[in-house]
Amino acid sequence: MEKPPCKDPIRALAERTALVDGLVERSAGDKLWPAFPAGLTLLAVGGYGRRHLFPYSDVDLLLLVESCRVAQDASGPISGFLQTLWDSGLRIGHSVRTPEECAEIHDQNIELNVSLLDQRYLAGDRALYARFAARLPRFLHAQRDPLMRNLTRLTRERHQKYQNTYYHLEPNIKDTPGGLRDYQLVRWLAHIRDVEAPPIEPAFLFLARLRCYLHARSGRDNNALTFDAQEQAAEYFAAPGAAQWMRDYFLHARDLYRAAVRELELSEAQNSSLFAQFKDWRTRLSNADFSVARERVHLRAPHALEADPELALRLFQFVARHGIRPSTEAEQRIAAAMPQLEEWFGAARPVWPAIKEILSLPYAAEAVRSMHDSGVLRAIFPEMAQIECLVIRDFYHRYTVDEHTLVTLQVLAGLRGSREPAVKRYTDLLSEMEDPALLLCALLFHDVGKGSANGAHAEASVRAAEPALERIGVPRPERDLVSFLIRRHLEMSAVMNSRDLQDPATARDMAGRVETVERLKALTLMTYADISAVNPSAMTPWRAEVLWQLYLATYNELTRELATDRIPSVASEAPEKRAFLAGLPMRYARTHTAEQIDAHLLLDGLFRQRGVAVALEKVEAAWRLTLVTGDRPFLFASVAGTLSSFGMNILKAEAFSNSQGTVLDTFTFADPTRTLELNPTEIDRLRVTVERVVLGRVDVRELLRNRPKSAPPSRNSQVPSTVSFNSEASDSATLIEIVAQDRPGLLYDLAAAISAEECNIEVVLIDTEAHKAIDVFYVTAGGGKLEDAQLETLGDALRRACGG
Amino acid sequence: MKKIEAIIQPFKLDEVKEALAGIGVDGMTISEVRGHGRQKGHKEVYRGREYTVDLLPKLKIEVVVSDARCDELVKTLTAAARTGKIGDGKIFVYDVAEAIRIRNDDRGEAAL
Repeated sequence: MEKPPCKDPIRALAERTALVDGLVERSAGDKLWPAFPAGLTLLAVGGYGRRHLFPYSDVDLLLLVESCRVAQDASGPISGFLQTLWDSGLRIGHSVRTPEECAEIHDQNIELNVSLLDQRYLAGDRALYARFAARLPRFLHAQRDPLMRNLTRLTRERHQKYQNTYYHLEPNIKDTPGGLRDYQLVRWLAHIRDVEAPPIEPAFLFLARLRCYLHARSGRDNNALTFDAQEQAAEYFAAPGAAQWMRDYFLHARDLYRAAVRELELSEAQNSSLFAQFKDWRTRLSNADFSVARERVHLRAPHALEADPELALRLFQFVARHGIRPSTEAEQRIAAAMPQLEEWFGAARPVWPAIKEILSLPYAAEAVRSMHDSGVLRAIFPEMAQIECLVIRDFYHRYTVDEHTLVTLQVLAGLRGSREPAVKRYTDLLSEMEDPALLLCALLFHDVGKGSANGAHAEASVRAAEPALERIGVPRPERDLVSFLIRRHLEMSAVMNSRDLQDPATARDMAGRVETVERLKALTLMTYADISAVNPSAMTPWRAEVLWQLYLATYNELTRELATDRIPSVASEAPEKRAFLAGLPMRYARTHTAEQIDAHLLLDGLFRQRGVAVALEKVEAAWRLTLVTGDRPFLFASVAGTLSSFGMNILKAEAFSNSQGTVLDTFTFADPTRTLELNPTEIDRLRVTVERVVLGRVDVRELLRNRPKSAPPSRNSQVPSTVSFNSEASDSATLIEIVAQDRPGLLYDLAAAISAEECNIEVVLIDTEAHKAIDVFYVTAGGGKLEDAQLETLGDALRRACGG
Repeated sequence: MKKIEAIIQPFKLDEVKEALAGIGVDGMTISEVRGHGRQKGHKEVYRGREYTVDLLPKLKIEVVVSDARCDELVKTLTAAARTGKIGDGKIFVYDVAEAIRIRNDDRGEAAL
């Protein structure tokens, strides 16, 4: 029959200590004192010394002897004394030392040195003890540096043995990070440094109760919290379930681990060396808000936090930019200002640009972890509270849900430097992302619904994320992408595991779900990060290969589909809208919002009056030109050429045409010299020039002639040009894919070459990867695919155009 | 005793496991493997570059059963893993000399 859990474990441990004290004293009275009335003292050390004696823990004794000679003479009575204790069922650990020996610091002695921190007089020569006790404070003071160094080194080694994480499926509640040893460490280091220990008693009480239970359960000094033990402990402590009870365990272990790491860092900082001073080179990163010292960011005006909560965001931007963590003092300031921060972030505020910047910077994962640990992430998104230390209890999920979320961000960050071929593909995919911050944002929220949902958590996560993102002012289109990714985050891995990837229907289905290449890329990376963050070995090379094949099949399906599916006429729409939409590719409807379509419709009206309509707007870091006009030869090439003549660098262009022959072209381009931004009159001049070129009043070749030629790229960075045709990929058009060295005017030359062969450009997809341009043209001639003879002459013309 | 080793399409795993559970076979070893048979992989084109998929991801299932159950198991496994297309995989059957349960030294079919 099990005893009920003890209410006050500290008292229970003290009672057991007192009981053992009695046994030890009686045995010493029988065996020791008759032979040695003086020159020998019994001390309790370690856990026994501090009166924390667990049911099956060792009883550690120090026999303090006046001199080595006493130790030799006493060996007989001492073994008799220890034997009686053994026979009474106690596990005794003992050492015999002179006071001088106790004060020696070396590696073999470190355990003894540390155990002296908890020494307690038991019985024997009081005068000898008084001499020893008088020396102890001086010893501790004189030896604090080597003591601290040894303690921190041993602890780092222990943490290393457990991969520096408190997340273990079956933790050892004494040794794993966040275990009872870390509690002792925090107390010892505070004691040596002569400061007050941080408040970690609740965690100690939890673990102490648990350790008593584990000892009683197995009848020995067993501290392993196995799966079985977790089930039974949850029941024993009357928790609603093992998963919930383990959540409590992790919350406490987390507190202890963080306190231990903080104490370790403080102690290591105090053990300063020349090397530490070298590390201070980063101080040059300091600015008006922050200073950098000893690899930590410090707040210059800590009190400003309460009045200026945005300082917290700037702090994490700094962390995300430089990868340097906040100092303990900064963390404490944040903790102190938490009520103000919670109140400030609780109101709807447009902080998205600041958060987006954090998520876009190189050390985003570190910054988010630091935001999470300091509680700022929860102040901004109280929705996150529901997954804090939430346990998914099986042999597969190693981490709690919040930790899993942080690990997904680390996985993406880890991709950046990888050179391994199987991983490199994903690295490339990440570098092609237009807006990685949105992917990170989606990952941040993808499992939030696990805290509330029964079953389908993806939808619950979307429900939690939507209002949170609206509150911080994420614009609609970005919010839509984030919600899409969260909602669908399980689908690729489901398809991977349950569908035949060689079957074209699988790719068709997946393409229908993601609809655009951009979303496919984001979802693929999200799936990669999500699986990788389940446990350290979940993303096997095998899985990475299967995911890649699904990506590949879907990518090819999406780019193939472009030319074929057309929007049918919809009776319910207004007649002008119906006429405009009829015959545009399905891709047009999928890639544009209702607002954008309405804006295009206005341009369409303008085009009917004036023969051409052009809109120019700034989009994030780039510009977008939208053109609506009637189709005519060389149209696409002319606009591309005009943009080049203004020094603009085209990043993407798409051409759509409807069944009436109205053409809608969009060009996304960069303005490398910031001409448009610095000279607003140039915006109008560019728009008017495009209109005049389209109407045939200006010759684009004249414009291009006035442009200075740029220097050719160096030989070793040159990209070999390839031109390939594919007549199978599309039902109605020939697909031309051109990979070439990017240069100003390239698109104009290519498009002009195609138009010169009297071919019609239907759809163009342009992508630039550093100096490499990848252009895909969907081309028709006389309403159908190109003839073989045409392919040959066009191929030659295009290859010449690539050469410049 | 016989050891049945089956190389199957990854997406067929759930069906195969269910079918085997249906005839009372619960214990098996599953590993992620890559290889090719007559299917010989294929070529994919990605952004103008050819990308050869020569080793295809498959799953290997290993089960050991008594001689008497072997035929039934192979029949069930084949039916569950078949799509009728190239790449469905293969099944190999081996003789097993001995089986030992490490925990208690059970021998032969008792150890299965």
